[in-house]
Amino acid sequence: MIASLARPGASLLHRTPAARKLAGLALAATVLFFVEDARLLAGAVLVGLVAARSTGATFAAIGRDLKGPALVLAVLGLVDWWLIDGTTALVVVLRLGAIALLAHAVTVTTTTAELTEVMERLFLPAERLGLLDASRAALTVTLAIRFVPLITQEAREIRAAQAARGLEGSILALAVPLLVRIVVRAETLADAIDARGFPPDRSSSGRDQETNERPRSP
Amino acid sequence: MSDTTPESAGRAPVSGAMGLSQTIVFSDVSVVRDGRIALDRVSIGFEEARIGIVGLNGSGKSTLLRAMIGLVKPSAGTITVDGRDAVGEARAVRRTTGLLFQNPDDQIVMPIVAEDLAFGLKNHGFSRAEIAVRVAGALDRLGIAGLSERRIHELSGGEKQLVALAGVLALAPKTVLFDEPTAHLDLKNRNRLRDVLHALPEQAIVVSHDLDLLAEFPRVVMIEAGRIVRDGSAEAVLGHYRGANR
Repeated sequence: MIASLARPGASLLHRTPAARKLAGLALAATVLFFVEDARLLAGAVLVGLVAARSTGATFAAIGRDLKGPALVLAVLGLVDWWLIDGTTALVVVLRLGAIALLAHAVTVTTTTAELTEVMERLFLPAERLGLLDASRAALTVTLAIRFVPLITQEAREIRAAQAARGLEGSILALAVPLLVRIVVRAETLADAIDARGFPPDRSSSGRDQETNERPRSP
Repeated sequence: MSDTTPESAGRAPVSGAMGLSQTIVFSDVSVVRDGRIALDRVSIGFEEARIGIVGLNGSGKSTLLRAMIGLVKPSAGTITVDGRDAVGEARAVRRTTGLLFQNPDDQIVMPIVAEDLAFGLKNHGFSRAEIAVRVAGALDRLGIAGLSERRIHELSGGEKQLVALAGVLALAPKTVLFDEPTAHLDLKNRNRLRDVLHALPEQAIVVSHDLDLLAEFPRVVMIEAGRIVRDGSAEAVLGHYRGANR
């Protein structure tokens, strides 16, 4: 889901505000968890397919995007069928499949910026209670979306380098350098985010404002 | 303001020669990082349109650059940018002074190009309409308007570096600080970035190991073990630097 991200378009879902789409998705997922009838769930899968197709994505593209979740669903279905029975496996797979398709439709029609804004608004009550900083919490999710492909790529590079040294089977040989890279990157990234004016100033138009923020000690 | 060599004596500043400029002043600045002296009683002023900074790895070049926008806090001394304190008034300083990091992947925050350019503008409180105009303008200025909706992780290293620079330029800073901007680039993209850098109307302070990049700069500063040891014309300072590190 993360790798697919938003695609430009002018479909109804593209034009629907992100908050409504996310609320609708949350509601649909909740309702589907109470539905046990396989025929109704099959209908939900159909609705999910129509929603995903309505974004302009071809069935082939939807299939490519959902290849990973489909694999997980297949394994889950097999385990349920093995441990419980075929009907339960079918219900679980249809239910999660419908949710995955609906989530795909929302993901490809919602930009990360829109998603971040919605999350900031969602986190505001918790910020008022002093539980967290809404901007920072939303940025954390954004960074996860941004950096998953990058970290995956770095893991591949490290794996290739270790394979060249005959360490292709070693988890430790992959994990240690990857962790070091992530920590070093996190430190530089924190500087970059500061340099770009984060956190946003909500008090004014932002131009030529001055604050007394303090940097981290060297 | 230079604390060292004779080359700087009598050198006329070319402030504003290319359009925009600020005066950045270090007054007896020391920085200690991880128990090591990164900058040692540095007193220097930067006001020319183009200034290069050279030095070996670990000499304090990047610390000097980061201290200019308050990312590194001096252990002693003060740094001002057009009279504003780089630490106490960091937000105002960062509004007029952008920093381009060595690796664009360390700098780009959002997963889509246009969203990333909007990130800094949003932080500084620009309206949606103005953000759209500035994002389009910055991309257009660097000739990368076609990348607007592209995903960052699909871009080449050169394209990412230009996107990171566009993110800095979108804020219309007076000064752009470059931290080894060509380190991750192939020859073609290095030449492209060099052309972009030379054409910028903004003041540019460039830390680089790419000495050819700095060869036409009116002023180059050499730093060694946290101290400014040479300050003068590119020809004089780079010649000394080359000779000292054979």
